[in-house]
Amino acid sequence: MKKAYLGIDIGSISTKGVIIDEEHNILASVYLWTEGNPLGASKKVIQELASQIDLDEWTVVAAGTTGSARKLVGAMCNASIVKNEITAHAVGTTTLHPDVRTILEIGGQDSKIICVEDGVAVDYAMNTLCAAGTGSFLTSQARRLGVDVEEFGKIALGSKNPTPIAARCTVFAESDLVHKIQMGHKKEDIIAGLCNAVANNYLNNIGKGKKILPPIVFQGGVSKNEGVVRAFADSLGEEIIVDENGHLMGCYGAAILAHGSGIEKPFSFDVADMEFVTREVICENCPNHCEIICVYRDGELIDSWGNRCERGVIRS
Amino acid sequence: MKIGIPRALLYYRYGIFWETFFQKLGHETVLSPRTNKDILTKGEQLSIDENCLSTKLFFGHVAALEGKCDYCFVPRIANLGDAGRFCSRFEALPDMCSNMFRDTGLKILRANIDPEQNIPAKRAYLKLAMQLGASREQAQAAYEAGMAAQMEDFRKKIKLNRALLKKEGIKVLVVSHPYNLYDEYIGAPIIKSIRNLDAVPICSDGVDPREARSKSTEIARYVPWVVSRELLGAIQMYRNQIDGIVLITAFPCGPDSMVNEMIIRRISHVPILNLLLDSQDGNAGIDTRLESFIDIIRFRKEVEQ
Ligand code: SF4
Ligand code: SF4
Repeated sequence: MKKAYLGIDIGSISTKGVIIDEEHNILASVYLWTEGNPLGASKKVIQELASQIDLDEWTVVAAGTTGSARKLVGAMCNASIVKNEITAHAVGTTTLHPDVRTILEIGGQDSKIICVEDGVAVDYAMNTLCAAGTGSFLTSQARRLGVDVEEFGKIALGSKNPTPIAARCTVFAESDLVHKIQMGHKKEDIIAGLCNAVANNYLNNIGKGKKILPPIVFQGGVSKNEGVVRAFADSLGEEIIVDENGHLMGCYGAAILAHGSGIEKPFSFDVADMEFVTREVICENCPNHCEIICVYRDGELIDSWGNRCERGVIRS
Repeated sequence: MKIGIPRALLYYRYGIFWETFFQKLGHETVLSPRTNKDILTKGEQLSIDENCLSTKLFFGHVAALEGKCDYCFVPRIANLGDAGRFCSRFEALPDMCSNMFRDTGLKILRANIDPEQNIPAKRAYLKLAMQLGASREQAQAAYEAGMAAQMEDFRKKIKLNRALLKKEGIKVLVVSHPYNLYDEYIGAPIIKSIRNLDAVPICSDGVDPREARSKSTEIARYVPWVVSRELLGAIQMYRNQIDGIVLITAFPCGPDSMVNEMIIRRISHVPILNLLLDSQDGNAGIDTRLESFIDIIRFRKEVEQ
C-alpha cells in the first residue's frame, strides 16, 4: 500500500477536496457546492474522492482541512492538521509555482492577497466583510443583465470601450449599473466595465499598500472570468497566471500540510457513511452564556468548542 | 463609604492607585466584575453608537456597580501636562455618566485632573480626599501610598516583560491601550490565542511610561496623546527584540486610526497585524488572521535559519 494524503477546503460557497501522493501529485480531486451544509458537502467530497482512486493501492494516512468550516470538518475526519486558508493557499500555490511572488484570490464571498518571498508568505490581507467585487456580486449583476455569469468573460473581451462603473460599494454599483443601462450603454461595454471595476476595487482595497510583484497567480472562482483576468493584466501591466487547478489550491495546501505535519492518523472513508450532528449548548455557568458547539459521531461526542473558559468544557 | 470603581478605561492605568488611595482613607472599594456579555450588552444599550467599544464597555461597568456602592468614581482626567493629552472621550465621562444614570440613584464621585488648566493630579486627589472628610495629612498620606503602589505595579510589569523577552520562541508585541489589552472581550482572547499558537505575547504597557514617551519621538514627533506616545515608545524600545507586532484597536478609535496607520508606514522591518474589534461577537475572523500571521513569522524564521 502506498501512502496518500487528503485535503479538504470547506468554504461558504464551495467545498473542494484532493488526494495526493508523497510527491504531491494530485491523485483525485472534487469540487462541489457547500449549499449551507459543510458536513454534508464534505461527506460527498470524501465519497467522490474515494471513487476516483484505487483503495487497494492507496491508503490515506493523514488528512488536513482548511476554509471557514475547517474545525468542524477537521473533527469529522480526525484531521492531522487544521489550517487557516491563507497558509493553506500559500503552501498549495508555491508548491505548483515555486517562483510566485503574488497570489490574488477572489472567491464567492471573500477575497485575499498573499505576498510571497522565496516560497513563503510574508504578507497578506483579506476581506470577508464586503461583498463588492466578489463572485456573488458578479453573479447578481449578471442576473440583472440577463446574462449567464459564465459568459461574462467572453462577452467582456468583445468590448472596445468599457463603461466606467462605480464599484466601491455593492449598493452604489447596482444603482450605477441601472443608470448606465438606461443611458443606453452597450451590454458588452457594461460587462467589461464591471470586470474592470472588480479588478480595480480589489487593487484599491485589499491590494492597497501591497507590493504586487510578478509572477502573479490569480485564483478563486472569479479567476475563471477572462474579463477580470484581462482587467488585472491591464491595470498591473503584468502577465496574470491562471492555473486550471487554481480552485484546488486551498485543499491541495491542506493535504501538503497534513503530509508535512508528520502526524499520521487513521483516516477512514467510512466517515462518509457515519452520522455527524452538531448541537449547540449554552453554558449557564456565568453571564457570558457561551454557545458551545458539540460534534457527535453516531451519537458519541467527539469534539466541542466555543467555551471561553475551562468551566464550560464539555467532555464525552 | 463604599466606592465603586468601574473595571474599564483608566482603571487599567490608575486602578491600583485608586484602590490604595480610597482604602487608605478608610473607604471600602468595590470593583465591577470582569467584562462579560451582560456588561457589554448593557454598555451598548446605554451608549450612543459613535462611542468606541472601550467606552461602551466603561458604561456597562458603571451600570454593573448600580446598587453595589454609595458612589461610583468617575474622574475627568484630561491630560498630563507636557506628557500629552488623554483621549477626549475621557473628558466627557463624568458628565455622560451623570446624565445616563440620572434616574437610577447611582451617585457619581467626580475629580477633575487637568494640569493644562493648572490642576495637577496631586492637587485634585488631595481636594477629593478632603471632600470625603480627610485631613490634609491623611490626604497626603493616602496619595503617597497610592503612588507607591502604582510604581510598584509598573516595576512588576517591566520585570515581567524582561523575563518574557528572554523566552525561546516567537515573540509578539501586542500593542494596545491597556484597557483593551486586558479586557475579557477585547485583548484577553487575542493574547490567549497567541499563546495557544505557541508564541510569546508581550504587552505594550510593560515599559517605563516616561522613557517610552521620550523614545516615541524617534518614530513620530507630534503625537498629542499620552497613551499613543507610550505605545509608540514601547515599539521603539522593543522593535529589535521581537518577531512581530499585533495592533489591537477598539472601533472606532480616533487616536488609533491615525497612529496605527503611521506605525504601519514607519516600522517596515517587523511584520505587523492590525486588528480592529467592534462589539460584534465571533472571533473566527480574528483567529484566522492571527494564525496566518504567526505562520508567516514562523516560516520566515525557518527560511532564515
Ligand atoms: S464557558 Fe466559561 S465563560 Fe463561557 S459561559 Fe461558561 S463559565 Fe462563562
Ligand atoms: S483612545 Fe480610542 S479606544 Fe481609547 S477611549 Fe479614545 S477612542 Fe476609545
